[in-house]
Parts: sequence; structure tokens; C-alpha cells
Amino acid sequence: MPGTVLELREVWKIYDMGEVKVEALKGVTFNIEEGEFIIIIGPSGSGKSTLLQILGCLDLPTKGEVIIEGIEVSKMKGPQLAKIRNQKIGFVFQGFNLLPKYTALENVELPMLYAGVPAKKRRERAKELLEMVGLGDRLNHKPTQLSGGQQQRVAIARALANDPAIILADEPTGNLDTKSGEEIFRIFEELNENGVTLGVVTHDLRWLEKGSKIIKLLDGRIEDIEVVRHVGNT
Amino acid sequence: MEILRETFRSLFDNKLRTFLSMLGIIIGVAAVMTIIAIGDGAREEINRTVSSLGSNIIMVTSSIFSRFASDPLEFKDAINITTMVPGVANATGLLASSYVVEIHGKNTTATVLGVLPGFFEIMNLDVVYGRPINEEDSEELRSSAVIGYNIADKLFGRQEVIGERFNIIQTGSSGSRKITFEVVGVLKKTGSRLLFNIDDLVILPHTVADHRLFHASGRTGQILVSAIDEKSADLARMGIDFYLYRKFEDSKKYTILSQDAILDAVNQITGIFNVILVGIASISLVVGGIGIMNIMLVTVKERTREIGIKMAIGASRRRILLEFLLESVVLTVIAGIIGMILGVFLSGIIVHFGKAFGLSAVFTVKSILLSFGVSAAIGLFFGIYPANQASKLSPVEALRYE
Ligand SMILES: Nc1ncnc2c1ncn2[C@@H]1O[C@H](COP(=O)(O)OP(=O)(O)OP(=O)(O)O)[C@@H](O)[C@H]1O
Ligand SMILES: [Mg+2]
Repeated sequence: MPGTVLELREVWKIYDMGEVKVEALKGVTFNIEEGEFIIIIGPSGSGKSTLLQILGCLDLPTKGEVIIEGIEVSKMKGPQLAKIRNQKIGFVFQGFNLLPKYTALENVELPMLYAGVPAKKRRERAKELLEMVGLGDRLNHKPTQLSGGQQQRVAIARALANDPAIILADEPTGNLDTKSGEEIFRIFEELNENGVTLGVVTHDLRWLEKGSKIIKLLDGRIEDIEVVRHVGNT
Repeated sequence: MEILRETFRSLFDNKLRTFLSMLGIIIGVAAVMTIIAIGDGAREEINRTVSSLGSNIIMVTSSIFSRFASDPLEFKDAINITTMVPGVANATGLLASSYVVEIHGKNTTATVLGVLPGFFEIMNLDVVYGRPINEEDSEELRSSAVIGYNIADKLFGRQEVIGERFNIIQTGSSGSRKITFEVVGVLKKTGSRLLFNIDDLVILPHTVADHRLFHASGRTGQILVSAIDEKSADLARMGIDFYLYRKFEDSKKYTILSQDAILDAVNQITGIFNVILVGIASISLVVGGIGIMNIMLVTVKERTREIGIKMAIGASRRRILLEFLLESVVLTVIAGIIGMILGVFLSGIIVHFGKAFGLSAVFTVKSILLSFGVSAAIGLFFGIYPANQASKLSPVEALRYE
């Protein structure tokens, strides 16, 4: 039976800039179930990236609870949080965020290195993943020798490296042309069909039909949750 | 050990900068290595010279020597010690000073000594031409001199110079005087022994030296004694102490030094000297360390985004800390190794040009381990702050950094 991957309860994020306090999230509550394909939309500044960073344990909420696989994140210690990021979360960024000095293969290996996977296994799995995203012939290319779409595919392979509970992507096609963007769509779709849980922030309305649930943010609050199709027992 | 590969990778990425930031440490370690090596060499050399005398040598110094001291050591005491103290083979007073010696327009600086005839036996000197100073020279105030190898060489250009004359130039308040001496003996080329370079000596009968050069009225700053053999050294020492205590009635007015005591004193002095020099050279190590810290802080700034990415994909703070710390330690250890190699070269060069002064270099395992340890410690000490800065970054903020 599919379970709950992530739960947010009354999550607030307030950026304290000294004189002004920016309330980026104002009490957000929702669950992400296993196998779901969540699309998060909303106008610029509505708090989408902030929300995704909190979901991905890159940042902690000011108030409220984030629960990953039954454990409350704010109660975790530093090393535990790093471990969650390493093993439970795969992050895909708008700007790819690959390490420029490393080859595609090494970039994909890195999360496994942190997880303590032995070198040989690491290499094999990284190769497999890169072949899966269609980059079997670009293993030893550095990011600068790859197109934007190819870089983003390396990033997806990296996010998948430790077989995470969820892949979170912040405008993954934002820096790409239409055609490269569509390839990324296709990969995400395929992943979801294979049971990978996804959370994607986007401005691109073409994504809407792919998702299983659409969360509309407005001014730090959930304006609407639209369930497109039911996944598992939800 | 994957982490080490990453360290080398980022150091290699910036070869020139890596090298420049290592320079301070390289120079510091090279300097410390060189100083320790030369210092150890000098100590070894001195120890060898002192030991070459044999352990039957005893030296007495007066703590209050001056021409006007009320109760100084005297040549008389040396004669008394020779005749009266059991276990003593020979003893001599010692008048010593540097003078310019010259003949036919050639001149050089000599260490001029006024001694009793026993001096030759005590110092175990080889007279290759002519004879040593004897009793008659002293009693009849003859202007006889035994000269060292270098003096003969520089004044006459040869060694067989018995009967030749030369002048000692004495400069005083009323201008300079030449005092003529006749060579009665020439010493074999010997090098340093105890406190003197034998080859630079001009040895005179003490009476003549006193009368014409030193004007000490029979006084002396020190008495050099040889015991009959090693076993009698202690007996001789006690006898001398007894004799001198009777004379001065105050044990603070004289000091009796045996070879061991001289070695101790010499080692103590060279040790202090070494510590001071190493201390000065260490300043460059500290400066080098600050340079490392500076470069590491710049590196952390430059790689902020990289740190953010690594944290986002699961690198713990500890891992980031370790990466940067390792980078600075590897940097300083490599610098240390280069510095050591440079130090070996440097001391080689110094020894090459300093041979004339008896310089030599000695490398010990201790000094090599010390250089290793010190450079690693510098890397740790000056790397911990930047590495800590890196590990404290927030992932979100680091990712936003351009
Ligand atoms: N580090 C920060 N410090 C201060 N304010 C911040 C910070 N990050 C975000 N904000 C503010 O929080 C609000 C939400 O920002 P967020 O980046 O989450 O918006 P977004 O929905 O991702 O927008 P966009 O579509 O433009 O990416 C904005 O008003 C933003 O200015
Ligand atoms: Mg955003």
C-alpha cells in the first residue's frame, strides 16, 4: 500500500530582513503520497521556490511541521538532515547546478559517494542512469560541453542516484527551449509511470495535464488544490 | 580516500595559485631545516673538537681575571699544580689574544698564545720542523716562537722556516710597535682543537708574551691541565680544587671544568642559539600560514555555489569541513616536503661556501619529522577557520550565491 512521503502542517516561512519581515509562506498544509506527480504553480513571488526548499530539507520552516516518512524534520540534527537530502530527496534546479569541474559520470556519482556506495557500484549505477536519460555517449563530458537540455538530464540522473523517495524540481524547463523542455517532460512522465513521486514547480502550463495533483499558490497560501487523477488510495 | 582525490583535483585546478600560496611555507620550512641542519652540524663539529682532546683535560678559569684583580690565577699556580697535585701530568696558564703578524710586507692575523712548555703535551701538538718552546726560552726571555701551518704558509709561503724572523704588531694608544720573534718550530696542519684553530697559532714562552705583549705580571685567565690518564682525572680535579680553595678561600672565585662540563656548556650555548634562530625562521612559517588562511578564505568564497550544490545532494557539514581542511593540510604538507628538499640544497650550498669556517650540515630523522609535523600543524591551524566558514554556510544561501 502506498504511504505518505511528505506532510506539511501549518508551515510558515518568514524571512527576517531586519526592518522588513517577508512572509513567504503563511500556513501551508498538504500531503504528498507515494506515486503522486504534484505540480505547483502560482505567480512570481507566491512562495513556490520557498515551499520546494522546505520540502527538500534545504531550509527549515519558521513555524509548523515538516514530516518525512514519519519523522519531524525540525527535530533532526545536522548530519541527519544531510542524510535525508542525500537519500530521500532528489533535487533538480532551474539552473542545473552541476559541478563544472566534474564529468557527467562524476556528477551523477557524487550523491552515491556521500552515501558510501563502493566505487565500482557507483560507476555502474551512474552509467545506467545516464543511459536511461539518453546520455550513454556523453559519460565523460563536462557540463560546459553539454547543451542545456543534456545538462538538465544529467541533473535528473544525479537526483535519481540514491533512489530517493521524491524528486523535487524547481522550474526544470525554465532555462530550456521548447524542444529540450519536452524531453524533460517525457522523462518525468516516464519516471512517474514507474512509480517515482514527483514535485515540480513550473510556469509552463503544458505541465498541468501531466500532473496528478495541482497546487496553486497565491501570496504564500494555497489557493486551490486540484486533483487531476487519483494515485493509489488517494 | 576518495576525498583525497577531490583535494588534489582542486589543488591542481589552480596550479599557479596553489604554488604561490605554498611559497611562504616552502621558504619557512627550508629556512628552519637549514638552520637546524647547520646548527646540528656545528654542534657535532664542536663536540668532536672538544672530544678530540681526550677526557683527561681539565680547565680552570678565574671568575675575576683582570690585570688589577687582587687575587687572580697565576702561571705560578700552573707550575704548582703540575708539581704538587697528584694525578696531574701537565698544566699551563694561557695568555691569548689576536694580533697581526707580518714580514716583508705580507701579513695575517694570528692567535698569539703565551704558555708554559707543557702546553704542547697537553694539546698533543705535532711539531714538524724545529722544536717546541722549552724552559730556557722562558727563563732567558728568548724571542722564540712556534707557529701554526697557516701562519708559516701566509708569511713565508713554505713550512721549513726555522730561524726566520717575523714581527708581531702591537697597536696601543701611542701608535703601533713591531716586536720581532724568531721561528723555532712549525706545527703540523691540525685544524681546530678545543678552543683554538691550531693552524692560526703563534705560541710564545709565557714570560716573553707577558713581558712584551700582555703585561699581565704573571696572571692568567685560565689554566689548562692534563691528567695522567682518564682514571686520574677525578683525582686531579679534586686536588686542583683543594689547591685553589687554599689559595682563594672562596670557591666562587674559580671554576673547574672537565671535558664533560665543557661539552655541556657548549651544547647549552649552541642549543640556545639554535632555538633563537629557529624562532626567527618560524616567523616566516606563521606568515606563510596566514597566507594559506587567506587563500583558503578566497577559495571558500569562490566555491560557495559548489558547496551549496554539494550540500543539496547530501554532503554533511562535516564532510565539507573535512574537504577544505584536507585541502589546506595537503597544501602545507606538500609545501613542507618541497621546503625540506630546498633546505637540503640550501644547507649544501652554505656548507660548500662555509667549509673554511668548519660548517657542516647534519640531517636527522628528528628534523625531518619535525618539518612534516610542523607543516601539517600549520595546515590544520590556519585551515580550520576557513573550513569552518565553508561548513557553516546555509545550503539555500550558498546556492543563491553567484
Ligand atoms: N532569502 C530570502 N530572503 C528574503 N526574502 C526572500 C528570500 N527568498 C525569497 N524571498 C521572498 O519570499 C517570497 C517568495 O519567494 P519565492 O522565491 O519562493 O517565490 P517564487 O514563487 O519561487 O517566485 P518565482 O516564480 O519568481 O521564482 C518573495 O517575496 C521573495 O522576495
Ligand atoms: Mg522560484
